[in-house]
Amino acid sequence: MQKGMIRLCYRKVIDVHSVKPWDKLVFEDTYKEFLMQVQLYNQDKKYFSFSDIITYVPAAEKLHFLVSAAVIGYLKQLQGRVPDLVNNLGRLFLPFKNFRFEIINSDVKDKSKHQVAVNFFTDPLVWHDTINNMLLLSVPGNTENGELLTELFTLPPFVSIYSLKIPAPYGTTEQGKDLPG
Amino acid sequence: MERKLFLKNGLAALGLAAIAPLANACKKNTDGSTDTTTTTSGTDSTGGTSSTTCSTTPTETAGPFPTITPSSLVKSNIVGDRTGVAFTIKIYIKNKNASCAALAGAIVDIWHCDKDGYYSEYGGTSMQTVDYTSVHFLRGRQTTDSNGLVTFTSIFPGWYTSRATHIHVHVYNSSGTSLLVTQIAFPEGSSSAVYLVNTTGSSYGYTKGMTGYTYNSSDTVFTDDSSGLETATCTGNLSGGYTLAHTINVSA
Repeated sequence: MQKGMIRLCYRKVIDVHSVKPWDKLVFEDTYKEFLMQVQLYNQDKKYFSFSDIITYVPAAEKLHFLVSAAVIGYLKQLQGRVPDLVNNLGRLFLPFKNFRFEIINSDVKDKSKHQVAVNFFTDPLVWHDTINNMLLLSVPGNTENGELLTELFTLPPFVSIYSLKIPAPYGTTEQGKDLPG
Repeated sequence: MERKLFLKNGLAALGLAAIAPLANACKKNTDGSTDTTTTTSGTDSTGGTSSTTCSTTPTETAGPFPTITPSSLVKSNIVGDRTGVAFTIKIYIKNKNASCAALAGAIVDIWHCDKDGYYSEYGGTSMQTVDYTSVHFLRGRQTTDSNGLVTFTSIFPGWYTSRATHIHVHVYNSSGTSLLVTQIAFPEGSSSAVYLVNTTGSSYGYTKGMTGYTYNSSDTVFTDDSSGLETATCTGNLSGGYTLAHTINVSA
């Protein structure tokens, strides 16, 4: 039984108030990288805020991509598990390979304005059912003695269902494929 | 905005310490401005942006403590997942303010397009994978040695409409302050690497030939470089690969 395959997206916001060690390293190093890379788009040193720079120098949109280089080493340290989000037993369990880094705000003169987000996209999960306010999920391939191992998970703030793939009705051979509409 | 100013002034009047946690709570909506963040003096212990404060607390063995990791741009081999004719790039940085002596400790970023003329980048909402060997292909960062030299291992760049073959270079001092943004041009002519790679390198994937190519004299960036200061030397051959050498003078 399943309602569909879903991918979750967790938008992890990191700024001057972040307290976890990983978050602080990402904050420091993405700001350092921002200061270096932004000089390419701000050679006259006319602008200070990230919002001004991307408004007046459209090519500066590339800064999201360029500064993301500073975060990749830290993402690898997570060993493929989405941070912060735990199942109802209190364990990290969400596998991911894909992410998207974004600069939300920053300022050449004011580090405290620096704010970035890492969007974690989980690998596809089977959504079996919803129990109270929790999703009953399983990670494909997670079995033990022929039983499917499942996870109960409450959607916290900053987490959304990124995509949904609805299975074909029972009795057809198209299960798991996209339905029209 | 007027309302925010009013709030900020109001908070100042009431005494920031008592109100700061409220200001932080308001910051959860992160896609707007951060006008209210003037309240940090020792009062941010509540942590503004942890999104899991109301969910189950992790109760498992802590993972390894995160370690400081350099930008994934810091690499000498910048090939990533690209293919093409082997190419070594040697750039010497010299200091105009010190009789053009070698500048050690300068940070040098380079980037160039692949054999088909594409740069690594993403736009809009596309995702990246954590596999960093392919994400920032043909982009790299090195620090000059005592001879002012940085070396990169790459593939010979292709070309795209309206530009001559080129390599972008951004030179910083050791603390990351920009010293120079420039581009390196390539020699031209029937025995040049650019000509041979593009006309005889089809087995390496170079299929454009030279039809429609923009030569340095017509290139928007290099057209004023009549003395060839921006043009590198390029030696080698298809099977053994090419080596580019170029000197860039900066004011450090």
